[in-house]
Amino acid sequence: MSNTHPGMNRRRALQLFGVAGLGTVAAACAGPGSTASGGGSKVEGGDIGGELSFAHWRAEDKAVLDKIIKDFLAANKGVSIRQDISPSTDYQATALQRVKDAAIGDVFTALRGPQFSDMVKAGLFADLTNESVVDNYIPELIADGKGGGKQLGLPYQLVFLIPLANRDLLDKHGFSELPLSWDGFLDMCDKLKSKGITPMAFPGADAGNAGQLINGMVMNNAPSDDMFTKIESGEYKATDDWYLKTLEQYAQLRPYVQPNAAGTAHEPAQQIFASEQAALLTTGSYDAASVRALDADFAMDVFTPITVAKNEMKYEGCHNTTFILGVNTATDNQATALAFVEHLSDPEVAGTYANGTAQHVTIDGVEYDDRDLKAIEPWLSKNTLLAPRYQFTDLDIAAAVENAAIEVIGGTSPEQAAEEAQRIVDQRRK
Amino acid sequence: MAMTTAEQIPRERSSADRPRRGGPRGRSRRTRGPGFSRSLYLFALPALVLYVIFFAVPTAQAVQYALTDWDGFSATYDNVGLDNFKTIATGDDLFRNATSNSLKFLLVVVVFQTLFALVLAILLARNSRGSVLLRALYFFPTILSSVSVAFVWKFVYDPNFGLINQTLDAVGLEGLQSAFLGDSAQAIYWAAATQVWFHAGQMMVIFIAGLQQIPRELYEAAEVDGASRWAQFRHVTWPMIAPATAIVMAYTTIQSFKAFDLIIGLGGNPPKPALDILSTRIYGSFANSEFGYAAAESVVFMIIIAVLTWLQRRVVRKVQAEG
Amino acid sequence: MRVQLTRRMILLVYATLIVVPLLVVFFGTFKTTRQLFDAPFGLPPSLTVENYRVILAEHDIGTAFLNSTVVVGLSVPLTLFLASLAAYAVSRIPGWKGWAIFGFLVLGLAVPAQANMIPQYVLFDSLGLLNSRLGLVLINIVVTLPVAVFILTGFMKTLPREIYEAASIDGAGPWRVYRSVVIPLSLPSIAATAIFLFVIHWNDLLYPLLFIQEPDKKTLPLALLDFTGQHLTNYPLLFTGVVVSSVPILVAYLFLQRWFVAGMTAGSVKG
Repeated sequence: MSNTHPGMNRRRALQLFGVAGLGTVAAACAGPGSTASGGGSKVEGGDIGGELSFAHWRAEDKAVLDKIIKDFLAANKGVSIRQDISPSTDYQATALQRVKDAAIGDVFTALRGPQFSDMVKAGLFADLTNESVVDNYIPELIADGKGGGKQLGLPYQLVFLIPLANRDLLDKHGFSELPLSWDGFLDMCDKLKSKGITPMAFPGADAGNAGQLINGMVMNNAPSDDMFTKIESGEYKATDDWYLKTLEQYAQLRPYVQPNAAGTAHEPAQQIFASEQAALLTTGSYDAASVRALDADFAMDVFTPITVAKNEMKYEGCHNTTFILGVNTATDNQATALAFVEHLSDPEVAGTYANGTAQHVTIDGVEYDDRDLKAIEPWLSKNTLLAPRYQFTDLDIAAAVENAAIEVIGGTSPEQAAEEAQRIVDQRRK
Repeated sequence: MAMTTAEQIPRERSSADRPRRGGPRGRSRRTRGPGFSRSLYLFALPALVLYVIFFAVPTAQAVQYALTDWDGFSATYDNVGLDNFKTIATGDDLFRNATSNSLKFLLVVVVFQTLFALVLAILLARNSRGSVLLRALYFFPTILSSVSVAFVWKFVYDPNFGLINQTLDAVGLEGLQSAFLGDSAQAIYWAAATQVWFHAGQMMVIFIAGLQQIPRELYEAAEVDGASRWAQFRHVTWPMIAPATAIVMAYTTIQSFKAFDLIIGLGGNPPKPALDILSTRIYGSFANSEFGYAAAESVVFMIIIAVLTWLQRRVVRKVQAEG
Repeated sequence: MRVQLTRRMILLVYATLIVVPLLVVFFGTFKTTRQLFDAPFGLPPSLTVENYRVILAEHDIGTAFLNSTVVVGLSVPLTLFLASLAAYAVSRIPGWKGWAIFGFLVLGLAVPAQANMIPQYVLFDSLGLLNSRLGLVLINIVVTLPVAVFILTGFMKTLPREIYEAASIDGAGPWRVYRSVVIPLSLPSIAATAIFLFVIHWNDLLYPLLFIQEPDKKTLPLALLDFTGQHLTNYPLLFTGVVVSSVPILVAYLFLQRWFVAGMTAGSVKG
């Protein structure tokens, strides 16, 4: 039995309360999903002009984007663009509702994972398949912006979601060659620890950032590359051998994180790493700029523990393509919105963005001159897996599976953590 | 200088015809009071209209959504009857975990906040210059925003740089150091401790007002009888501050359930399971595009609040009647 | 003697618990992150106002301040006006009808904000009240009407019956009674309620978080929360935000302390 929205019921309710003259209000109440149609339709043509809202969550990029917007406005008279920014957790929670009617976000962004898939379902992305702007991107890096065979969104940022490494510190202690096996990694941690260095700074109190470590931990352990999709579909279980093994390896890492790691927030973990007390920071390349802001002056790289023997290694690390740009189907100014996306996608502009924010981008022909971007650039050609943790489309399932790993570092036994996680997965699966 | 108005509050409570509830019954009874006119209804109308449109109807809608599987954005949804409620009752560890955290939080806050507030109130009941100053100080955290308080305490609890562990380190008690909010078994209690810090001063003021209502003669009589300090507390103070205690506990309960901002500030959004309480769980379900389910959760949440408030009233009455 | 000593000890310890975190925050506003982490209890090495400069110059906290002032400046008096009208009516309408209106309004106290926020969001959206200070004023009024009616009704019921008798003998209609008798006599309670509402509206986070996107419409708590996104690493700057956004309420507290206490406890009048 399928319903459309009960706008009538609201009206009836109002009459019930005996309030006269409110019919107009009731009629004005938009019901659920009143605009959720027309997803994937082509971008409409039109004149360039008017007001645009650019909705995203990267408050730290605001200044650079302001500059980029200024250049766009100089070339396109009669346009004004506003950045509508909210913190990423909040963006995750409410962006869909806000962008739905184009109240904000004529041009908007989506996080890869549950948000992107929900936004596709809600029909927010105009189809960009036949737009020439797509050609500016490196094809394999925007594959995750597709839905139903169409290029709906354009993932803009390329980040490496594996730990940041203090190259100088590791060199100094004889690890200029980083170990590419589990035994080698544990051995390295042991040696670092014996010299008074914390091998890993782990922000255990911040689930979003603590969860990043899982990418590298499962990439070689799991029997297939879509392991988390399969956990969500029920084909795999958190209690399967490969995940249990991963959790047991987490347990082996306990001595190598800072004391009370489970209570350490993101900022203090960055501080421990920036002040050279720790060799690794288990978040991702996106933290490089923040660490630099804490006066760190050592050479940085990214590096993840390899959980298998050297000859069994499939992947060296994980990357992610996110900040998925979209043109809103609900906006009446799609031509201008597309023009702005084209501007952002220009290699030179993208270079300004990349070097100004210390993020790699998915656009072809960008020159990186930022120190850390250059240091990490070789990873662009390494064999890396698209970050598994964003395969989840359900936030509760994702949290359950990721928290299991964090709990293990905090002292819970792997078996117990796996069972609790699987119970929640079972309950949440529809 | 300060606190004088606070004393007025319980005064009316102690008047003989104290209404049992806040309702307007009290004195008007069946006869129409003087000056009654039908136009009085017009006075209530503006508030009612706004309240109905922007509060009551959305609430009713939420209840209606609770019977659906609406995801919050699709054009259609299915009616699923009571399925959401069945799932909540039988197969949702996350909701059960949040309920249990909410109750632990509530219990700790009610017990310790009430206790601290009462002790401080007894110590500061007399109007000396120092007392007035300290009351003002203890009361101060109440006026800060939850976001501010959460920022401050996140730093207090930080295991590496935070105030508590650094202090323990300095005095040679490293053994007592903890991960605080990071320790899954303890996290909710540390959050509760922050709530106590936040609002104990406010409850203290209510107790002080109650204490200052107690006629001095009662203590003088007790002293003549040679009653010990404890006996005086037991037989004079405790029964006499019954109304204040009831207020404090009721207020604390409501505040505890509204700790959303504080938990989000301390534990992030969404907080991890160890800090997840009912209001953050509901917000999490919204964020996870389970609108119908979240609506059902909020209905259950309302019922839990109602039941607890009722239970608490009974218990407080009973305890104080025996006191 | 020993009792006195214990008393002093307890009071001192509790005072320390209140003062120390707040002092650390205040001193922190004059430090860099490094300095704060290295010596959280230490006095700031110098009284640099760099953090304040950054907050005021780069974050347009002035706008947020103005927004909060405008929103609260409208929502508090309007809530009081509507609630006092309703409380007056409710305390004068006899029998079950008055009781029913009161009960209906006050039932809102038991409804958690999370329960109706999304239907409210949809409604405000369709009326074009998102991203609008007017929308915030409206939601503030609606959400705090129950508690305001609750408090004010409690007070108004205690007004002696003779007052109404005298007034009605004079032939005064309800509006005149309200304006020239009820309101003047209830002023202390209205002032206390005003403070109560002021603290709630000034510190509210949920609704601005939900309704406001445009940077130039953000209120102080929201602007403060945004710092976490912009300055993940910067506790000193966060602390500066805490201090700056608390100044108005602190100043008000110093001057209107007794009203604060009355107000913040008024919510509990008839538990």
